[in-house]
Amino acid sequence: MTTSRATLRRTLLLWIMLELVAALQVRSPAGGVLLVSWLRAVAIPLERTAQYLGNLAIDLGLGAHNLQRVIADNRKMRLELEILRARELLLGEDLAALREARGLAGPGFGLEAGSVVARCTYRDLSAGTMEVRTAEPLTVPRDTPAVTADGLVGRVVRSERRRHWLQLVTNAAAAVAVQTEDGRVRALAMGAGTEELRVAYVPRQAQLVRGTQLYTSGADGVYPPGIPAVTVVRVRESEAAFLEVGAVPTARLGVTRVVLLLPAWSPVDSGDSK
Amino acid sequence: MTWLIALSVLTLVVQRVLGMPGLPSWSPEILLPAVWIVAPPLLHRERHWPYHALLLGLGWDLLMEPVVGPGGISWTAAALAVAALAGLVAHRSTWAWAGFGAAAVLVVVTVRGIAYLPLGLTTAPSLAHVVRSAVLTALWCGLVGWLIALDLPTRWQRYKARRLH
Repeated sequence: MTTSRATLRRTLLLWIMLELVAALQVRSPAGGVLLVSWLRAVAIPLERTAQYLGNLAIDLGLGAHNLQRVIADNRKMRLELEILRARELLLGEDLAALREARGLAGPGFGLEAGSVVARCTYRDLSAGTMEVRTAEPLTVPRDTPAVTADGLVGRVVRSERRRHWLQLVTNAAAAVAVQTEDGRVRALAMGAGTEELRVAYVPRQAQLVRGTQLYTSGADGVYPPGIPAVTVVRVRESEAAFLEVGAVPTARLGVTRVVLLLPAWSPVDSGDSK
Repeated sequence: MTWLIALSVLTLVVQRVLGMPGLPSWSPEILLPAVWIVAPPLLHRERHWPYHALLLGLGWDLLMEPVVGPGGISWTAAALAVAALAGLVAHRSTWAWAGFGAAAVLVVVTVRGIAYLPLGLTTAPSLAHVVRSAVLTALWCGLVGWLIALDLPTRWQRYKARRLH
């Protein structure tokens, strides 16, 4: 006699069914039907598990939502932080510019009634040009001198509303009439398209040494006299009639933020040079 | 088939009667229906013995037990066990009937105890009760086996034939 697996399986199911039927007839110690208490014993963990899973799903959903909000807030705060940093940089820049502007109000060539303060927005030292902007739109005459607290910068070559382009003293086409502080040596500082200017027409007997500062003489009819223009960095004698003199601008063209435009100055008003 | 069912019902009724007051205290320990689960495998009858045992167990429950169900489980388990045992043991003698009957009792008692366990109704039978029940049932099954081996109907017909001559 062989016993098939299907028969065994059916028998097992029958046993389970019979046990359940028996449990239906028996009372539990609490007084209810035993089968009900069994079902409850099975259902309660399932219910708890379902409740737990539901809470878990809700918590996960809330967590994901909150995480999304946190990420969005974080992104927003980062953006705001970047804006604040940019503002800080701009404010620092403005502060530095104000300090430079205050230097322009110092003795020597202070702010005059017609002077215009302009912010440097772009410079190309190799090309010898600089772009500056004024607070208000105005027309600045061509060849208007531009200076900083340290010295001469150049002259205006073009003006358009708030934007003004300067030709720096280092420009290859620029030339400035200079002299020593005592006025004994007069020369012409010519830009060479590099950081260094060539000071021409310095007599061989001139007492020039390295570090000597030269000022504008006003003889060129463009720049007012007495403005520090260049500092001698190299003096060499040659076969020629004049000394070979090299100089660098007194003004720190690479770092200057504020320049002072002097449209009110005219060679006629200035009289003799310093 | 009908007379088999009738005999099964009769067995259960007699089993009930064996538990009536006034009869010896050991008399209900004979499990008379055990013979119905021992006989099929020993007589090489292909039957749906687990389901017959189930019905037998349910009838047992209806007449003798407080709840219906565990009897069906225990008696089908006994039927399965005896069938499996019959596949292993080649003997079909009277002793085999007795031994199978004892095994059926052991399975019925054990499985019924297990089935009652989750219901909180467990009444662990004493070892003496189990042994007595196994022995008495073995005797009962052995008796049935011996009677079948005697083949009384054939003998009766031979006896009648001799009388006619």
